[in-house]
Amino acid sequence: MSSKPTVLVAMSGGVDSAVALLKIIEMGYNAIGVTMKLWEYKQVGGNVLKDTNCCAIESINNAKLVCERLGVPHYTIDFTDDFKEKVIDNFVDEYLSGRTPNPCVRCNSYVKWDTFIEQADKLGATYIATGHYAIIKQENNEYHIKKGKDEHKDQSYVLWGIPKETLSRTILPLGDLTKKEVRDIARKNNFENADTPESMEICFIPDNDYKRFIREYAKDDIDHLNGEKGKTLNEKGEEIGLNDGYVNYTIGQRKGIGLSNPDPLYVKKINAKDNSITVADKKSLFSKTCKISNINWLDDKLKLPLSVLAQIRYNGTLSKAILSNEKNKIHAEFNEPQLAITPGQSIVFYNDNQRLLGGGIIEYE
Amino acid sequence: MIKENLYFDIAATTPLNLDVANHINEINKTTYGNPSSIHQIGQKAHNIIERARKKISNLLGCKESEIYFTSGGSESNNIALRGILKKGDHFITSSYEHPAILDVAKHLEQNNISVSYINPDSNGIINIKDVKNAINENTKLVSIMYANNELGTINPIKEISEICNTNNIFMHTDAVQYIGKNTIDLNATNIDMVSIGAHKFYGPKGVGALYIKNGVTVNPLLIGGGQEKGISPGTENPALISGMAYALELSLSKLEKNSQHISEMEQLFVSLLDNTKIKYKINGQNRLKGFINITFFDYDGYSLLLNLDMNNIAISYGSACSSGSAKASNALLVTGMDEKIAKNSVRISIGNFITDNDIRQLVTTLEKIIK
Repeated sequence: MSSKPTVLVAMSGGVDSAVALLKIIEMGYNAIGVTMKLWEYKQVGGNVLKDTNCCAIESINNAKLVCERLGVPHYTIDFTDDFKEKVIDNFVDEYLSGRTPNPCVRCNSYVKWDTFIEQADKLGATYIATGHYAIIKQENNEYHIKKGKDEHKDQSYVLWGIPKETLSRTILPLGDLTKKEVRDIARKNNFENADTPESMEICFIPDNDYKRFIREYAKDDIDHLNGEKGKTLNEKGEEIGLNDGYVNYTIGQRKGIGLSNPDPLYVKKINAKDNSITVADKKSLFSKTCKISNINWLDDKLKLPLSVLAQIRYNGTLSKAILSNEKNKIHAEFNEPQLAITPGQSIVFYNDNQRLLGGGIIEYE
Repeated sequence: MIKENLYFDIAATTPLNLDVANHINEINKTTYGNPSSIHQIGQKAHNIIERARKKISNLLGCKESEIYFTSGGSESNNIALRGILKKGDHFITSSYEHPAILDVAKHLEQNNISVSYINPDSNGIINIKDVKNAINENTKLVSIMYANNELGTINPIKEISEICNTNNIFMHTDAVQYIGKNTIDLNATNIDMVSIGAHKFYGPKGVGALYIKNGVTVNPLLIGGGQEKGISPGTENPALISGMAYALELSLSKLEKNSQHISEMEQLFVSLLDNTKIKYKINGQNRLKGFINITFFDYDGYSLLLNLDMNNIAISYGSACSSGSAKASNALLVTGMDEKIAKNSVRISIGNFITDNDIRQLVTTLEKIIK
């Protein structure tokens, strides 16, 4: 091998990581393609016939074909134990406690980056690269993440939790490209997966039916519910109906509540302890504050209170907010009320220049 | 043949012997008949198969009526187990069999067949006493592999088959790793069934055989045109079958010379390794020649495999599986090895084409990686 630095490229088998690999090669690096095997069908159930998901055999095969076409080695590395412990189990626990988790954030924060850097060290690679749509910039020896050029595809939201010290070793070759440009590059290069459809679901729930997944995966934990109906409460705590059980609802949900009301009703709160949900009209779902836990800062120099642009859901909009520290709890206070601030989801902070400052997990007030 | 990449993984599969490859090509070019057809074109294909059957039965010391051609070791194993065992039967096997036995056993358990799994001892060998102790009045079949595919350790199959014979129990052995690397005289043993795969002795993939001692009744798994006396129906592939027979003939005719050479290569490997600072231990006793399951105490096995591969050297790690998972070797774990140490272990298997220089290059590269 030549003395060019080596880059470990994370290959999901999709078109994005395939083009990321091509870009890395074009930048003059040695590349190694690596697919992280995160879960197995026998573990998660669901529709085995679908083949667009990461970790399906077909996806791994696609990654191998692209690597062979580009003349680089490809390896599959097994992270199933780590992923189960840190992502899947947490996902289920969160739902069972009435929250709405974001497993992609969890995976990036606790599995993907650390283990990938570790693999890079083991394989003698200097850098790692992924097909995320976000930009890593170096300014005055500091590395930071910015939103990707394609505003519809920007994935910086799911990167807030990655360890800061890994930024200097991470390359995101797709940050300056749009999804359309990426597909065009893939087609021009005859990649086998140039036209595979976008995967929108959670990777380990290939049938996109998270309720089915929780039912099967956490069978022992929800057996006591025994298909029992949950109570539907109004804001005063009065029972106004029955529902399918709290596990089946997320904050802000309107469908499936099963009550008729002059104003449509939305899920405002999920109460795992007594298997109930609190519903209210839309107006009442707006709130100006939230508590934040598990904060990860991607900039050491920031001081609270801090004025930021905050995003409270994937593909959500940026809203002005002030972060402050009250009694050792970090709070966000928004300029404008926000709809359905959802415990378990991520709140991500940017500055005016679209630079990712950090993020955390939304908690109940 | 494989000079660009150094291949130390003949336990996974051997390269096809070039004479055998030519033999197969020749048959494919000249013989297209269906062996079941009555006309002369069909007869020609049929006779190629029957000549191969005679050759193989001569080489293995059995009757030609006892050799059934299959698609390979996995099919042979499935027929042997599922063709004998019925609801209520008891089955004895080991806990470090190939998945084509182990997973069949788990499947059989779901169908009300009880199974005893015998662990190998710390040297990777099945103890005869353990087999004896596992026998009960419902025991119908014992299946213990001749040589283990991860450790290369050779089991006392003849002795186990005698116990089976005394107790009126059928005995099967998965000899896929063993046949072609050692001689065997089947009719001189009490073994009832033996699985054979051609691609472990420089023959083609996709073909194997099951030896079934005359007098043993096995129910077929597939129903079809009655080929192979109904045991493995489907139009036969004369080229592959003949290729297997030829490969076995070549392997056994050069057995002594090749074994000698492989032993020398193994000794060279060990002596070169001893001259480095690398801390290692070879696992298992009474092993197939050139079959080295080795623990490098200071290096993770899977990473070692990948780093060697990037240096164009092929070895093997753990229980390889088509889904891309790579877990620590099951065989090592059931010998009682700690999982952490098992994860630092790889399998290096030396073929008869390996040279002094290849071994030197392997050790030099290992030294470079492990440091």
